[in-house]
Amino acid sequence: MIKFVLNRFLLSIPTLLAILTIVFLIARVIPGDPASVILGDSASQEALENLRHRLGLDQSLIQQYIQFITGVFRGNLGDSLVSGTSVMREVLNVLPYTIDLTIAGVLIGIVFGVPLGILTALYRNSFLDFIARILSLIGLSFPAFYSAILLIIVFSLQLGWFPVISSGNLLDPVQRLHHLILPACNLGLIMVAYVTRATRSSMLDVLREDYMRTAKAKGIPGMVILFRHALRNALIPIITVIGLYIGVLVGNSVLTEIVFNRPGLGKLIIGALNQRDYTMLQGLMVVYSIIIVITNLITDLTYGFSDPRVKYS
Amino acid sequence: MNQEHLLEVRNLTTAFRIQGNLFPAVRGIDLHLDRNETLALVGESGCGKSITALSIMRLIPQPPGEIVSGEVFMKGIDLLTLPEERMRKIRGNKMAMIFQEPMTSLNPVLTVGFQIMEALIYHQDVTNVKAKELAIEIMNQVKIPSASRRFKDYPHQFSGGQRQRVMIAMALACRPEIILADEPTTALDVTIQAQILYLLAELKREYSMAMIFITHNLGIVASIADRVAVMYGGEIVEVAPVGDLFEKPRHPYTEMLLRAVPRVDLNIEKLSYIPGQVPSIDRMPPGCHYAPRCDLRMELCDRQDADLVPLPGEPAHRVRCWIRGDSREIQDKP
Repeated sequence: MIKFVLNRFLLSIPTLLAILTIVFLIARVIPGDPASVILGDSASQEALENLRHRLGLDQSLIQQYIQFITGVFRGNLGDSLVSGTSVMREVLNVLPYTIDLTIAGVLIGIVFGVPLGILTALYRNSFLDFIARILSLIGLSFPAFYSAILLIIVFSLQLGWFPVISSGNLLDPVQRLHHLILPACNLGLIMVAYVTRATRSSMLDVLREDYMRTAKAKGIPGMVILFRHALRNALIPIITVIGLYIGVLVGNSVLTEIVFNRPGLGKLIIGALNQRDYTMLQGLMVVYSIIIVITNLITDLTYGFSDPRVKYS
Repeated sequence: MNQEHLLEVRNLTTAFRIQGNLFPAVRGIDLHLDRNETLALVGESGCGKSITALSIMRLIPQPPGEIVSGEVFMKGIDLLTLPEERMRKIRGNKMAMIFQEPMTSLNPVLTVGFQIMEALIYHQDVTNVKAKELAIEIMNQVKIPSASRRFKDYPHQFSGGQRQRVMIAMALACRPEIILADEPTTALDVTIQAQILYLLAELKREYSMAMIFITHNLGIVASIADRVAVMYGGEIVEVAPVGDLFEKPRHPYTEMLLRAVPRVDLNIEKLSYIPGQVPSIDRMPPGCHYAPRCDLRMELCDRQDADLVPLPGEPAHRVRCWIRGDSREIQDKP
């Protein structure tokens, strides 16, 4: 088991290196001199030279690359061009908000999506199945910014249950949760739709398997067959879908964070785009890549725990 | 109700719904099984052997399947009218089934030992420790080497033959009175087949069980069965003690089936076969199901199906045929 975990962990390091290289190259391949893009056409030669020096653009490509990689592994992503503060510090300030939001969204997706998927598989082509399928289709095709506005209008403005601006103090757990619920529901709705569909189709496949008949022939109670024999097997494709859509979720969180005016990586990246904060963008690309790599690592490890065939082969 | 038989199936008809219409897959099945007896159910693929066994266990997937009529008495109790919860307590406990595909019939994410233990946990009043002990004991009995070590292994770590041993261990864990073996050796190598057959026969004797053995291999039938029921197109066409069936088959289909077994002791150049194929359940002929492939067929065969009747003076040998069966039938019917 330890060997398996270690193995998967080591395997994700080359992936990360490859991504970092691509991020580095993208910034250098883009046509035009970053310094003149940042400072505009009217900048003086001296100012351009200064900025190039600050960005390290006057060094050779290899040197820049080595500096970039070692910087990332030391946790140094450079300084923001706009505010001059360390990119790493800015990221760490808002990261808890984004992590809160993503985890809450995934949890909502699992808690509602898995049972709904099981029910629709068991009672397929029934009225319940029909309703759930239409709802999940709506959930899938509903833009996140639109559902966010609807949620704010209903639950914040009309009912007044939740704050309109969901920032919240991180040190106060009650307030943190209170501010989290509405944006998390907005993200979770999409996740519920994905997880319901994945669970339904995966369960339908498993229910047709020979070993389900074997379990029934052994005289095991129906509920035990459903959870121990069916769901444990159905879980493997469900984990894949959840792992994949955490990436989508991180993307959707950009829209959610903006509408709810909530601090987070999404707001940071939009700000950096608007202000052409080049180092901030590069740093955020690195952070997002690391998040995806970690998510994949966790997904891989979860496979190992839920499917004995993965662990041993 | 005949109290003598351990299991008695009467007039069982199971149908499947295909595009809204109900078509019988097995029709009017009558058979019985006594203690310590092995009844072989023989026939080509698609003739309804497995459906018969699954109907007895009430494991027909519903929908599309449906047991339309009939009774299945086990020691005087009609299983088909039992509430599901009581039927569950019989499955795997008093009556167990061994399936054809050991590769796909075991759950890939549960350990082999646990899957054997499971039946014990839900049917017998034993602690987990005791259930594990019993499971290892039965694994030894089905001759899985180093059973206590392999208890924690998963099905994918076993070979095909070993998996079938695990299936047998699972089925026998609660020492059932009846075992339904649905082509348990078909998916295995010939050398393994013989071992598994020998093991089954041995355990059956040891536990004094009765067995319904489904196969399309007549060679196996001769070595394992006491009586044989030949099925064709969802019906039993002939039932006889194994010796009688091989020595004097009466139904034209049984005759052809026996002739189709390759023999090395006779110097025959060509293998014989039965032309045509089993009709699918939605295209069953209105009269005798075998009529379209039968050499002896007459006009009546196409019109009406014969009944399964005993031969004169041989109550244990019954045949469903206008020509070879009881000829009185022909005179009775216009």
